Amino acid sequence: MVKNNVFYSLGSPRLAMVGMAALAIGAVLSYGNPDTVSIWVLILPLLFLAVNLLMAILTNPRIYKRHGLLLFHVGLLSIVILSAIGRLTHFEADVEMVRDTVFDSTEVLRAKAGIWHDGTLAEVQFQQGHYTVDYSPGLVRGKTKSYITVFDPSGVATQKIVGDDTPLVLEGYRFYTSFNKGFAPILTWQPADGGEPLTGAIPMPSYPLFEYKQDNQWAPPDSEQIDFWLRLDTGLTEDEAWTLDGRHAQGILVVKSGDQRVELRPGESTKLPGGVLVYEQLTTWLGYKIFYDPTLFWLFIASVLTVVGMTAHFWRKITLDIQDQVHYKQKKMRIQSAVPGSRERA
Amino acid sequence: MFVEVLWLWAGLAAYAIATYYAFRSVAQYRDAATGMTSEIVSHSGEKRVLFFMMAGVVLLTICMIVRWLRIDHGPFVDLFELLISQLWSLGLIYAVSYWRFPLLRPTAVIVLPMLWIPGLWVLTLEVSSIPNPPTYFNDWKWAHVGFGKFFLAFCLIGTGLAGVIFARMHPYFARSFQFMPTDKVLDNYAWRFMLLALVFESLMLIAGAVWAQDAWGRYWAWDALETSAFLNWLLLGAAIHARFTYNISVRTGAILIVLVFVFAFITYFGIPFYSGAAHKGVI
Repeated sequence: MVKNNVFYSLGSPRLAMVGMAALAIGAVLSYGNPDTVSIWVLILPLLFLAVNLLMAILTNPRIYKRHGLLLFHVGLLSIVILSAIGRLTHFEADVEMVRDTVFDSTEVLRAKAGIWHDGTLAEVQFQQGHYTVDYSPGLVRGKTKSYITVFDPSGVATQKIVGDDTPLVLEGYRFYTSFNKGFAPILTWQPADGGEPLTGAIPMPSYPLFEYKQDNQWAPPDSEQIDFWLRLDTGLTEDEAWTLDGRHAQGILVVKSGDQRVELRPGESTKLPGGVLVYEQLTTWLGYKIFYDPTLFWLFIASVLTVVGMTAHFWRKITLDIQDQVHYKQKKMRIQSAVPGSRERA
Repeated sequence: MFVEVLWLWAGLAAYAIATYYAFRSVAQYRDAATGMTSEIVSHSGEKRVLFFMMAGVVLLTICMIVRWLRIDHGPFVDLFELLISQLWSLGLIYAVSYWRFPLLRPTAVIVLPMLWIPGLWVLTLEVSSIPNPPTYFNDWKWAHVGFGKFFLAFCLIGTGLAGVIFARMHPYFARSFQFMPTDKVLDNYAWRFMLLALVFESLMLIAGAVWAQDAWGRYWAWDALETSAFLNWLLLGAAIHARFTYNISVRTGAILIVLVFVFAFITYFGIPFYSGAAHKGVI
């Protein structure tokens, strides 16, 4: 295809071996995704291998004249290119959804996006319902079922159940339930000066992981900080199978402000310096991991085609040569006939 | 004692008898080749090897079924069941290859002793059971594990052939294997199995990536097993590249095959030592 000594050298098998060795070193350094190791330990060998592959495809007749080998090399090159595009366009984040609330893209946490990411996360619309998590004896987490309501552009609602290895996929964004979940008392703060009441949820730490530490703080506008502690009754039993279901949980909210300490049940309120605090109800929150990579499908196709190409090329070498087996049998026959008396006994 | 342990012992006993007959069969050929015996050199020894290997596979199958029924999930989570599962699949794939390709039969004296490494290891472990993690109900797990089993088994067979090449460097063992084809032919066969190993390792990585994407929201995260499996793929790819691009000697090729197998063995059986579960932190 292309006859140029420089190009041919760039696509040489020897350079491929060098690139593979460099990639192996990069892979070792990348083990565990340490913060101290630059992503370039992978990018540079992959760039090097991509150039090597491209030149080999263009200049090496042993590759471009063999369809299987050509498909294999083009597939490998496609995987490298697609992976690069994937990293440049990817998006990752976490979000904690309180029951009955609608997803808000401005509330995502720990967001990381590739420089080419131009997604449509703001267009994602769904409402979090309740969820259940099964536990085996010994508090070993089992299946999570999260009940979601999805709205299409015309506003029609559809119910979905997601969890664990079944993500919610909207606008290309994949929402995976995480082990992070818990309870959240919904509170209303009525300022003493007659200002606008505030209503919101105070998420408590993950449950049952931090079952012993269900506390949080909040400071109303122009008021002292309030400490909260939630005393839960969820039916949790470590020795037996148990299902975490926020709909059947009850919680007493212990409120501490200055020297004042009061226990509230849902619907009760207390007067604090600066206003009145109402404990409306107990609800739940569930953590999601958000993942976006538009190349996923094409990466899968490229990977499969790569293996198809590899298999097609190897097929002739893999299929057994009958002559070799005949050779083996003949040798055995010779041994048998060489043993004194073997024929007679046989 | 759990009933599955009895079946495990029975399966390992069958493998032990198969190992004994494998050595006896090769010794018989050696004696015949040197004229030290007047016994008929027949296929009966090989048939016994095959019979006891298959018996071992059947007994280990019963062991896994009994355990499966008891703990309500397959052999995918803890080291005890992972080792039994590998003993079963390596035994099954090797036994089928042994039956289908007579040329491989003398390699049993190399392959079967290697099975004793996980075989003895599993006997030192406490019979534990970990509940199936919620992400292990994914169908892609089956494809990932299945492809991986073929990958390791083909590496094992390639190593068996490479082992014969090494053994024949010593005059004593050379006689034991003198009825086998030349080193060049064995090298050719060994690399065919390594090509199959590369195909299946590639499929294993793809299926594993799809499973990981579904299960943990990422297709690759450089965990201990992923890193090791990828390095293994690179090493196998480089070895095949070297074998088919350069005129490397048969012995160098055999060394490369053994290196790939040792790396694969560490990936399968060493990483659980290091991480406690197949994919620590993500189950």
